[in-house]
Amino acid sequence: MATSSSCVVISDEEQGYDLDLFCIPKHYAADLERVYIPHGLILDRTERLAREIMKEMGGHHIVALCVLKGGYKFFADLLDYIKALNRNSDRSIPMTVDFIRLKSYCNDQSTGEIKVIGGDDLSTLTGKNVLIVEDIIDTGKTMKTLLQLLKQYNPKMVKVFNAPVFMKETHPFSLFLCVSVVGFEVPDKFVVGYALDYNEYFRDLNHICVISETGKEKYKA
Amino acid sequence: MAEVGVQTGRRRRHEGIVIGDDWPGYSLDLFSYPAHYSGDLDCVIVPHGVIMDRTERLARNIMDDLGDHHIVVLCVLKGGYQFCADLVDQIKALSCTSEHTILMRVHFIRLKSYLNDQSTEDLHILGAEDLSFLTGKNVLIVEGIVGTGKTMETLLKHVEAFRPKMIKVAGLLVKRVQNRSARVPDYVGFEIPNRFVVGYALDYNEYFRDLNHICVISDSGKKKYKI
Repeated sequence: MATSSSCVVISDEEQGYDLDLFCIPKHYAADLERVYIPHGLILDRTERLAREIMKEMGGHHIVALCVLKGGYKFFADLLDYIKALNRNSDRSIPMTVDFIRLKSYCNDQSTGEIKVIGGDDLSTLTGKNVLIVEDIIDTGKTMKTLLQLLKQYNPKMVKVFNAPVFMKETHPFSLFLCVSVVGFEVPDKFVVGYALDYNEYFRDLNHICVISETGKEKYKA
Repeated sequence: MAEVGVQTGRRRRHEGIVIGDDWPGYSLDLFSYPAHYSGDLDCVIVPHGVIMDRTERLARNIMDDLGDHHIVVLCVLKGGYQFCADLVDQIKALSCTSEHTILMRVHFIRLKSYLNDQSTEDLHILGAEDLSFLTGKNVLIVEGIVGTGKTMETLLKHVEAFRPKMIKVAGLLVKRVQNRSARVPDYVGFEIPNRFVVGYALDYNEYFRDLNHICVISDSGKKKYKI
């Protein structure tokens, strides 16, 4: 049943899959409970997201902006699908890439200033269609601030992707203003894998999985 | 296709697939590429599928050497990002299906040293000021292309200062150049002629990163995208 946000909705009751039904890296064998979203499903959804993006943004030079580190896996996969569309149709759109890190400075008033580290000069965004690919974030405040910052450089259009999972409960209403297209909507479970890390671990896991108590202990900060 | 190194066996394993100077490459008409690069490319020198197949083998070599270790992967942006993504994917696959496994954590740094098609003297390393998390760790530097090796030397010196346990370097492409600095990467995808190549995240003034084969840029391409 398609919802108004038009994404794959995973219900609260969803249990996921037994680990034995899939391949997972041996070093994480004890650290995971269940496979929640298999890698292949993520890729299939991403393939469709690529098509949606090309429909909305494919009229003009795209700058794909990857917010490190969590965004990079989804970024690479998404771009692979966009590139495939580009080389197999008569119409294609030039695309340049860049990588940034966001450092947020919160003062007592939580006005939330952010610093953009590592990318090219932001003036390269002027007049372009900007596609931001980023990790899950907690409140969306950082993304809102980033979008405000980018506006000063007059991009033609800006769209934001959370990579690729959108947790309804942890995002207050304000985020709905930022996130344009959603891969999956999931309940607020402790998930890791694909783009999502736990203290830098689990980035090398293909499926999105639920972490086990053992895992939480082992990789505690 | 290309001239393959005559000797097989571990001694020359690190050379990679050798692509001779005389080899003219594949005509663009034989492959799919983005329409917006028509006229900007001369030929395809390494098709995407061959890159993937070679990367699959490099992943196995890395697994043979570093299996059951924890490693920190240091991805050199921007040119290394595609190779790093694909290499890490292949190692992940082996970690699931082979007897051994490698726990990888990935970090990113950025090197800036090219203007148009010339390597400049100044090397800027961004995002690498504090690499103290590398101390005592096994580090795998992943780079898209190595030319004279000057950039790699500078980066290695910088990383060594943080005293990692071990450093290995994986380079997808190594150019045959006259004045090469000492160190050749431990894992080499392809040894190529000294021509300016683009594609598979390698750019010419930021263009061509969205091309999945490795190609030689044409003169009109160089002019069109010149700064």
